Amino acid sequence: MLRFRLFAALFATALLAMSPVAWAHFGVITPSDDIVTKEDPKTISLEVKFIHPMEMQYMEMAKPKRFGVIYKGKTEDLLGALQSTQGKGPDQDRAFTFWKADFTIKKPGDYTFFMEPTPYWEPAEDKFIVHYTKVGVNALGLEEGWDKPVGLEIEIVPLTRPYGFWTGNLFTGQVFLKGKPVPNAEVEVEYLNESPDNKGIVKAPSDPYVTQVVKADKNGVFSYAMPRAGWWGFAALQDAAWKLKKDGKPKDVEIGAVLWVHTIDMK
Amino acid sequence: MHWNSVRTLVVLGLLWSLVWIVPAQAHKVNIFAYVEDGKIYTESYFPDGRPVEGGGIEVLDSQNQKVAEGVTDKDGKCVIPVPKKDDLTIVINASMGHKNSYLLKKSELGE
Repeated sequence: MLRFRLFAALFATALLAMSPVAWAHFGVITPSDDIVTKEDPKTISLEVKFIHPMEMQYMEMAKPKRFGVIYKGKTEDLLGALQSTQGKGPDQDRAFTFWKADFTIKKPGDYTFFMEPTPYWEPAEDKFIVHYTKVGVNALGLEEGWDKPVGLEIEIVPLTRPYGFWTGNLFTGQVFLKGKPVPNAEVEVEYLNESPDNKGIVKAPSDPYVTQVVKADKNGVFSYAMPRAGWWGFAALQDAAWKLKKDGKPKDVEIGAVLWVHTIDMK
Repeated sequence: MHWNSVRTLVVLGLLWSLVWIVPAQAHKVNIFAYVEDGKIYTESYFPDGRPVEGGGIEVLDSQNQKVAEGVTDKDGKCVIPVPKKDDLTIVINASMGHKNSYLLKKSELGE
């Protein structure tokens, strides 16, 4: 009997050690084009997902609570434009729901697309996850508006213009919670392995390579240099002061501010 | 000519070229145009949003012939009646050789 217990304990420990604890969740919005020039098609398509970007693992995503775009200080609701579709990573044996929308650029300037998801219940972490996600698109040479906050509960406001990055460029952003900078905020950074311009799937030799971690300074300002062409996600995570109920019991909520930027190689 | 004068000239020339080239790169002129109710609406601007004031606007047809012209107002705007049902290139010509263009396809001109 004792021997059996010992065996069971060892087995449980082994299972725990194998479980994928380190993978970071990211809300995603990626546009088909983030710098729309006068020669480019004026209709772009946007993909809205909830995934592990580096590990290429999809999670089932309910229809977002809010999806819209801010242009010259005005918000346009785009929730009605979202169409559900399915996708899966190479290691996944079933497909999961994600969302797509088309948007037609009508005027020059900066367009900031944003999304507030329906809270996602993560049983492995015994909490809900809400990632407010955004991405900037520039149109027709007018670079105005990218540095303005959307006004989300938690938000990364770029200090570096969030488009037109070369590979290796340093991105700097500031984390705000309810409009106030978050001192020492922890920011997770991941590469989107399914970036359309990724030259080959990146395999991380160990977990710390999957999710990069930077801490902000006392003003909530952080920086990260992006070493590869494609899409990069920055996620500033905090525990919400509020709770949500699961089966009648109040549970913690992780709120995240996620921002996506794109890099290309110099050649 | 004395060697010092030559050197001064070369240095001045280099400085002049710096003054000339750098602002031209940073202050690229842009133009955007669309058609509404038979009129071409143009907006000319620098990347930071400042309007191009008093810039010359030319409308060229598909044969590159000038078919209309105008001047931008203090908001960088200029409205010109559609002169011809054709692919139209709208050209902004600001001071110091700042130039850019925007193509309006025939299909975008409306009825």
